[in-house]
Amino acid sequence: MKHVRIHLVVNGEDYSLFITPNRVLLDVLREDLELTGTKEGCGLGKCGACTVLLDGRPVHACLTLALQADGCQITTIEGIGEKEVHPLQEAFIDKGAIQCGFCTPGMINTAKALLDANANPSEDEIKQAIAGNLCRCTGYNKIVDAIHSCGCQSEKEKGEVR
Amino acid sequence: MSQLDIVGKSFPQIAAREKATGETKFVTDLVLPRMLCGQVLRSPYPHAKIISIDTAKAAALPGVKAVVTFQDTPKIKFGPRSEDWTIFASDKTRFHGDEVAAVAAVDADIAEQALELIRVEYKELPYIISPLDAMKQGAPLVHEDKPGNIGAEFKVEAGDVDRAMDDSYVVYEDHFYTNQVYQAYMEPMSALADVDLSGRVSIWTGTQIPNMMRMTYAKALGMSPDNLRIVVPEYGGAFGGKMENNIHLIAAVLAQKSGRPVKLVNTRHDDFLAGNPRVPMHFDIKIGATQDGILTAKDVKVVGAAGARLVYSQVIVATACYRVDSLYRLKNVRAKGYTVYTNSVPTACFRGFGNSQSTFVLESALDELAIQLKIDPAELRIKNGMGSNETSVHGWKIGSSGLRECVTKASKAANWSQKKNNKTPFKGIGLACCNHVSGNRPFAREFDGGSGIVRVGKDGRITVFHGESDMGQGQNTTFAQIVAERLGVTMDMVNVAQVDTDISPFGLGSFATRGTLMGGNGVLAAAKDAYDQMADIAADMLNTKAADVACRKAMFFSKSSSETKISFQDIASEATIRHHGAPIVGTGFYKPPTELPDPDTKKGNISPAYPFGCQIAEVEVDPDTGQVSVTNFVAAHDVGRAINPMATVGQIQGGIAQGLGWTLMENMAYEDGKMINADFVDYIVPSCFDIPDIKAILVEPIEPNGPYGAKGIGEPALNPTMAAITNAIYDATGVRIKELPVNPQKLLAQIQKLGKHVKE
Ligand code: FES
Ligand code: FES
Repeated sequence: MKHVRIHLVVNGEDYSLFITPNRVLLDVLREDLELTGTKEGCGLGKCGACTVLLDGRPVHACLTLALQADGCQITTIEGIGEKEVHPLQEAFIDKGAIQCGFCTPGMINTAKALLDANANPSEDEIKQAIAGNLCRCTGYNKIVDAIHSCGCQSEKEKGEVR
Repeated sequence: MSQLDIVGKSFPQIAAREKATGETKFVTDLVLPRMLCGQVLRSPYPHAKIISIDTAKAAALPGVKAVVTFQDTPKIKFGPRSEDWTIFASDKTRFHGDEVAAVAAVDADIAEQALELIRVEYKELPYIISPLDAMKQGAPLVHEDKPGNIGAEFKVEAGDVDRAMDDSYVVYEDHFYTNQVYQAYMEPMSALADVDLSGRVSIWTGTQIPNMMRMTYAKALGMSPDNLRIVVPEYGGAFGGKMENNIHLIAAVLAQKSGRPVKLVNTRHDDFLAGNPRVPMHFDIKIGATQDGILTAKDVKVVGAAGARLVYSQVIVATACYRVDSLYRLKNVRAKGYTVYTNSVPTACFRGFGNSQSTFVLESALDELAIQLKIDPAELRIKNGMGSNETSVHGWKIGSSGLRECVTKASKAANWSQKKNNKTPFKGIGLACCNHVSGNRPFAREFDGGSGIVRVGKDGRITVFHGESDMGQGQNTTFAQIVAERLGVTMDMVNVAQVDTDISPFGLGSFATRGTLMGGNGVLAAAKDAYDQMADIAADMLNTKAADVACRKAMFFSKSSSETKISFQDIASEATIRHHGAPIVGTGFYKPPTELPDPDTKKGNISPAYPFGCQIAEVEVDPDTGQVSVTNFVAAHDVGRAINPMATVGQIQGGIAQGLGWTLMENMAYEDGKMINADFVDYIVPSCFDIPDIKAILVEPIEPNGPYGAKGIGEPALNPTMAAITNAIYDATGVRIKELPVNPQKLLAQIQKLGKHVKE
């Protein structure tokens, strides 16, 4: 297969890559860039473990050709918290929303896109957003809770979430 | 007990930060120089004779470094319990997904192409999927040397069942079926194998039982166990599913043949086809009670499908036969269990280990008795429930039991009485209880306890070594809390080492809800040993006796005169200097007061502690579609003491989510002997919309045998979920669910057949 050149900006860093056009973004991130924080849970767009942000939108990296991302800004879990950990990451840690942690990178990326678009989502909006992200460990309660606690609602409301 | 600083507090997992930032290296993330990609060729047929395998073309493909079949293995029969395994199929394949050949290549594309170049000539054979059919005369044999496809039989009897049944005021009798479901851990099974110059094999894999696996695999590879090393990095969930599996051995054989490291990661499809899902079971149950609701006798027959080889299904069927007998004060019980070979994927452990299947059946039957007797189902459980310091019909010594408290607290929180009596069409509430173990004496015959090593370096940094397995449930954090509490230090000083069979103690592993109690007591004993060594030095430096020394918040002091304090770090440093560089190393073990069950009567005491629980589900049934949604859930669990309440609640919520999926959504379906929904497109597990708010209540009776009073929680979290939901469906519709999962069309048809809604 003929190789093609693509340019990606991943977590703010420029990459120029020479790849075969059939390769998915997930493999390029994990293998070529060694950013293994992005996970593969199904390879079919059905678990959300591979979710990354493409120009701010959550996409399944397992279904996105690296070629499609040519010239785009990509954020992976490694780039979510600029210097410190992101408040979402902090919330996931503190609220017990992480058990095995395999779903966590995708879950946090999806949540990040939601909060960027809607700073104070309702519980239902949170569920809408993460409905495609499977977690087999937690039963989701604590994940919804963690995301909810990051919305900029008043302290009083925060206390009322579960 | 003196005041606790660390135990009983909710700490985030010690690895949470790495997990949240993507820093954690899971098994599938590991890379070694010159590593190859392994892939497996699997049988497309449920049962087929292998006429020939031609691997020449695959081997000749540039980039392919090894192609292996049965011929490349030591051809030794092995297995964790019953030696009916081979690493690859030899003369015939026994299930759709059976391992036929494998390749290792420089990348995944080439490996995939190579698989396509392997020519296998098969002759299809008649197959059998249902265990009931498999037992029939003339059924095709999965293993020629196993007549009637019987893999194992189990029998237990105590008291006089027939007489007690005759004397009963009511008797309920029925057939139930629990289906085959998949663990669906988010990280598929995977292994990285490497061979050194001496031929020593290392396997990095997510496994619940590193040490026992090593013994089984050493036999399979024809080597002595000391030539095999198992390392357990962080891994993405297991729920019972990650024990022995051929893919680990295939990675090892590929590494041996290629002389290079080989990583083999199941595709999700392969993980469905050839993982080790839950044992499907048929139950015939008969159960009696007196007029005032005292249970008199229970009689069950269990037929479980082993699939094509025995993994742990025979032990799971045995568990389904009798573990649940210690939930209530039963006196007369009888059970017969058959574990039957079928041409389907080998089945094994999944959270609940047979007790979840039988709890569904028993708790459904109890609901029927409650209806016949017009007794409140909660009251029926309270009447019969096992209490503290009682001995069950099989000799199990119940230390602490919070069962009744679980029922009353769950009922109160769920507003049970009011909701039960206030009938709303197509809305219902249901309740179910469970018992379980914290360790299982007969699972490994030599011993059943736990052990640990606690190392304190010159800098005061503490490293805990254990041989169990943190599959994501948070075991390492629990162990760190126990050790920090015992040493009197802060959590940030404690590190938990990755399990490595070259270094770690020989732990039995994480199953049977044993981690917290067995492993926890093991590391507690090791921490005590380390503490005592440090206290001697502290006493010397504080000019007092060791008995007068205490340590809190990482400061040693004399209890009699608390003026001078010396930091934990200073003591550690002094100890290392006095010992010319040797660190403090505490070792210890826990020997539980259990008894191996008698082979005939099965009387014994299989666990040092028994957790209990009660769950209440509320459902709504759509009258047009039969779709069931769970709208509210309350779960009260006797956990002895929650070492980490947040983690404990997380276990409960996660267990219920899995139980809900099993009850309402999940089923591994077969057509023409092949699994037809072997991916997340067609096999749907719960998403956040399927799971209601789950209110978890921790009942803490403080278990005398537990570390700081703790029992386990992993499996009880799911055991009662199925019956809680189906009992609620009965309450909503009058339909008794006897087969999992609930099928909306069938439910609708039964509702219509009933003619009118019982609650109207
Ligand atoms: S791996 Fe991409 S959605 Fe599952
Ligand atoms: S934490 Fe394990 S899958 Fe979500």
